[in-house]
Amino acid sequence: MCQNPNERSTNPSHFESTHSQEEIPTHRDLLWEDYQNLIHGMRFFDPHIHMVSRTTDDYQMMAKAGIVAIIEPAFWVGQPRTGLASFKDYYSSLVGWERFRSSQFGIKHYCTMGLNSREANNERLAEEVMEILPLFAYKEGVVGIGEIGFDDQTALEEKYYRLQLELAKKTKLPVQIHTPHRDKKRGTERSMSIALEHGLDPSFVVVDHNNEETVKSVLDQGFWAAFTIYPFTKMGNERMVAVVEKYGSERIMINSSADWGISDPLAIPKTAALMKQRGIPLELIRMVTYQNAIDAFAKSGQIDVTDFETEFQPDPNAKFHGNSILRGGQQPVINKNSLLIQ
Amino acid sequence: MANVPTNLTQFLFEQTTKKEREWLEDQVGFNDLGLMTGFVATPRFLSKKNISYDSKTRGDLVPHLPGFEVDGWNLVRLARVWLLLHLPIEPKEQFIKNIETLFDTAELNELVALYSVLPLLPYPSEWLPRATDAVRSNMGFVFDAIALQNPYPELYFPEIAWNQLVLKTIFNGKPIHWIYGMDRRKNKELAIAISDFISERMAAGRTVPLQIWRLLSAFVDVTMDSKLLSLLVSGTEAEKEVAALVCSESSEPRIRSLLTKFPDLELSIQKGELDWSKFESIPE
Ligand SMILES: [Zn+2]
Repeated sequence: MCQNPNERSTNPSHFESTHSQEEIPTHRDLLWEDYQNLIHGMRFFDPHIHMVSRTTDDYQMMAKAGIVAIIEPAFWVGQPRTGLASFKDYYSSLVGWERFRSSQFGIKHYCTMGLNSREANNERLAEEVMEILPLFAYKEGVVGIGEIGFDDQTALEEKYYRLQLELAKKTKLPVQIHTPHRDKKRGTERSMSIALEHGLDPSFVVVDHNNEETVKSVLDQGFWAAFTIYPFTKMGNERMVAVVEKYGSERIMINSSADWGISDPLAIPKTAALMKQRGIPLELIRMVTYQNAIDAFAKSGQIDVTDFETEFQPDPNAKFHGNSILRGGQQPVINKNSLLIQ
Repeated sequence: MANVPTNLTQFLFEQTTKKEREWLEDQVGFNDLGLMTGFVATPRFLSKKNISYDSKTRGDLVPHLPGFEVDGWNLVRLARVWLLLHLPIEPKEQFIKNIETLFDTAELNELVALYSVLPLLPYPSEWLPRATDAVRSNMGFVFDAIALQNPYPELYFPEIAWNQLVLKTIFNGKPIHWIYGMDRRKNKELAIAISDFISERMAAGRTVPLQIWRLLSAFVDVTMDSKLLSLLVSGTEAEKEVAALVCSESSEPRIRSLLTKFPDLELSIQKGELDWSKFESIPE
C-alpha cells in the first residue's frame, strides 16, 4: 500500500476517480460498536474482496462479525505486472497461500480467475496470460471467471472480455463483471449486451459495482446485480438500504470490494446492521448479504455450504509452505467504529 | 505418445463410472493444452473416492517399475497420473515445457499427482531439481508424494539428495519403511548422520524412532559397542530388540558377539520371529 494521496488519485482502486481532496468525515453519529448486537448470530458471505491486500486484523474482525466465506476475484494489484510469472504467482496465491491464510481465521476462501480489463491493454502479456488461464480456471475452489469487463472501454479490453466470456462458457463457470466508473451506464449496458451476444445465460452473470442508475436494467435483463459498499466512491450503505427498499432482494447482493484502497472489509455486516435498524425484514437481509451470492456462484459446482455452515475450528499451528500467517500491516486511517460508510 | 501401461489403464477404468471413463477418453484426444487443462479439471468430472486396491493388483500396474504403488490414492490422483502419460513426449523441449508449466501453476493436489508420475516419465534426470525441491517442501502431502512409496528417488537421486530425503523423513516423524528402496540404498554417510543423531538424542535423554537403527546396522563399528550393550542391558523391551537386530546384522564380529549373552533374543531372530517389520508402526 504505502501510497501517498496523490498517487491514490491517479491510480485509484477499482479504477475509480476518487476526489483526493475530499476530507474523511470525522463526525459519526452512529458507532459500529453500538450496532454489532443487531447482527449477532447472522452469517455473511462477501462475494468480492481482495484479501491479498488486507491484513490479519481484517480477517479477525471479519470472522468476529460473522463473515464465514468470501470470494476473491483476480484483479489489478495496483501496479501493472510486467511478466507472465507475476500473473502465475498471483493466481497461485489466490488458490494457495491466501486460501490457507483465510482458513486460519475460519473463513472459507474461494476465488474467481481472470485477466483484468486494465491489464488487457498490454496485448503481448495478455496473450500469454490467456494461454495459462484455463489451467487456473478449472482449479478446485474457483467459482467463476472474474473480474472481467471494461475500464477505458478500449478495443483490447473488449477483445479479452469476449475471449474470457468464451472461457466461462467452456468451463461452465459464472462470470463476475467489473463495470467501469467512467461512463458507467454505457459500460454496463455494453458489458451485458456482449455477454448476451456470446450466448451467456444471465443467471450465470454477476454484474458488479451497480448504482441507482444501473440496477433496473441489470435486473430487468435477468442478471445478478451486485453492489459494492465502498467508502466515498461507490455505494454508501444508507443508499443501499434505499435500493433494497425499492427493489427487494431478488438477484441483489452486496460486497465490500475491499482492497488496497481505503475500503472496509466489514461493509457487509455494517450494512446488515443498518438494514436491520431501518426495519428491513431479516429474510431480505439474509438474501442480499449471504444467500444470493451463494446461489449465483454455486452454479460453478464448487461451493459446498457445509464447509462454512458447520462449526469450524482453525488450527493455529498449521503452516503453509512452512510459513505461518503474516504479521498484520498498517491500515489507512479510517474510523473502524463507524456503522455508516459514506 | 508415451507408453501407457495397459494394466494401469485397465485398473483405472475399473474404478470409473461409464461417464467418467468417457470424459477421460475425451481428454486424451485433445492437444497438449487441452490435456493439461483436463489434468487440472479432473476433480470437476471425477469423484474423489479412494480407489480400491487389493493385494492382487499390487505391484502389477506398471510391470517394469516395481515400487510404483497407488495404495491410498483417490481416483482423481490416479486419473491425473494417467492423463499425464498421454502428453506427447516429442519434441522433448515441448514436453519438458508442458510439465514445467504444470508444476509452476499447480496447487497442492496437482503437485501430488505430478510428483507421483515422475518415475513414469521419460527424461528422468530433467525432473531431478523438482523432485529434490519437493523434499524441502513443508507441505506434508507434497513431501509424502515424492518421499514415500515412490520409486523415483531410489532410481535417480544422487547420494546426498537421497540421504537428505531419509533424514527429512525421520525428522518429519514419517515411516521410513515407506521409502521405496530404503534398504538397498543404505550408505556409510547416512549411517554416520543417523548415528550422530542418535547420540545427540541419547545425550539429551530423548528417544529416537527405533526403526532408524536399521539404516546403520550394516555400518556400526566397534565404537558403538557400549551404546548397544547399554540398550541390551537396560533398554526398554523394544530397545533391546532393536539393539539385538543391529548386532545380528553387523559385519563386526565383536558387535555380533554381544548378542551371545542374550540367547532369547538371538533365538527369536534366528527363528524369524523378530525382524524390523515389528517396528514398522505408523506414527500418529
Ligand atoms: Zn475487485
